[in-house]
Amino acid sequence: MVDKFVMCEVVTPERILYSGNVKMVVAHGIEGEIGVLPLHAPLVAVLGVGELRLKLDENKYEYVAVHKGYIQVLEDKVIILANFAEFASEIDIKRAKEAKERAVKEIAEVQKEGEDYYKAQIDLEKAENRLRISKRV
Amino acid sequence: MARTREIKRRIKSIDNTRQITRTMEMVAGAKIRKSQERIENSRPYTTKMMEVLANLSSYVKAGKHPLLEVHEKQERVYVLSITSNRGLCGAFNTNIIRKTESILEREKQAEREVVLSVAGQKGINYFKYRGYELLSEYTEIGDSPKFEDAREIAAKVMEMYINHEVDKVLIIFNHFKSVMDQRPIEYNILPIEKDMTEGEKERVVRDDYIFEPSPEKVLYELLPTYVETLVYRTLMESVASEHGARRTAMKAASDNAVEMIGQLTRTFNRARQAQITQEISEIVGGAEALK
Repeated sequence: MVDKFVMCEVVTPERILYSGNVKMVVAHGIEGEIGVLPLHAPLVAVLGVGELRLKLDENKYEYVAVHKGYIQVLEDKVIILANFAEFASEIDIKRAKEAKERAVKEIAEVQKEGEDYYKAQIDLEKAENRLRISKRV
Repeated sequence: MARTREIKRRIKSIDNTRQITRTMEMVAGAKIRKSQERIENSRPYTTKMMEVLANLSSYVKAGKHPLLEVHEKQERVYVLSITSNRGLCGAFNTNIIRKTESILEREKQAEREVVLSVAGQKGINYFKYRGYELLSEYTEIGDSPKFEDAREIAAKVMEMYINHEVDKVLIIFNHFKSVMDQRPIEYNILPIEKDMTEGEKERVVRDDYIFEPSPEKVLYELLPTYVETLVYRTLMESVASEHGARRTAMKAASDNAVEMIGQLTRTFNRARQAQITQEISEIVGGAEALK
């Protein structure tokens, strides 16, 4: 089989996180995981808080923590616009743990419903996501 | 003798100031480069988002989303003015304050109520001293604005806009034209201007995109992020402008110091010469008297 690659860019407002050829992209869409192989049809999807896997080569993956964003698939390119993205190896585990504790505490403190509760839950989700992905290294 | 010593002291003091301003000039210069880089880094994100928006607008009828909707009554305007936390940057803050005040005046003429928010300690101090009521104060934005900062500001204005608490949102900030040139401009954040979302018209819009979950949902998720990006951009430009303005101001200060030192050195030499001449004539006079 001929090896096929697709150009992939992971962009956040603060920097270009990744740019290069990959064999496959698996992103965490809000309605489930989306796998993109080369020659995928054009697509735009909303991403949730989750993991982004870039298959660089057989058995070689790069894991990225993504918090909300979009994936856009063009004919020859996959663009991931993330509000926040971090390589698994970059994740500060201590900070993520602290963030998780803070969020748990906040959820226990604030009233159910209401904006603060909602915010705290998202924070918790993000912290847990970071912790989970940091173990992928 | 007393005169020369005093001049010497002044030269020393000016030289110290010159050293400080020169250092600040260099620091600001380095920071300009960094903040320019940051603007560059955010550009791909912004342009790509514009592309998606342009594609989407052909699928979804714009105007339905509350952020795109133009309010019928224009009664209240939200004004955010971005200043800096620190001074010594020339007319940077004064320009923003003056611009803000002229806009406040303009809105008053048009009989619109203004809700004012200020970012940066300098602006906050000024407007508080003048007795303005500030809705929000942002002082966290340092040399490297985080996307989170922008999100916080954007979330607040979007909420107010959607709840019809305000009918227009303006940001006043220093636009970074170049290292030497920064000027205060006002920028309309909300409602999102239509032609922004319609994008470049000549572009061939593809019609075979798959949207997940649906074009509407994607657009609705995208619009708030778009607003956040706009705010983020103004913050970054403001920071870059601040460093630019500071460098220009510090350069002028250093140059002035050098010039002053030159003048004072000349005065010092003259005074010393005068003293020597006087001493000689006194000696000559004394010797003459002894003859």
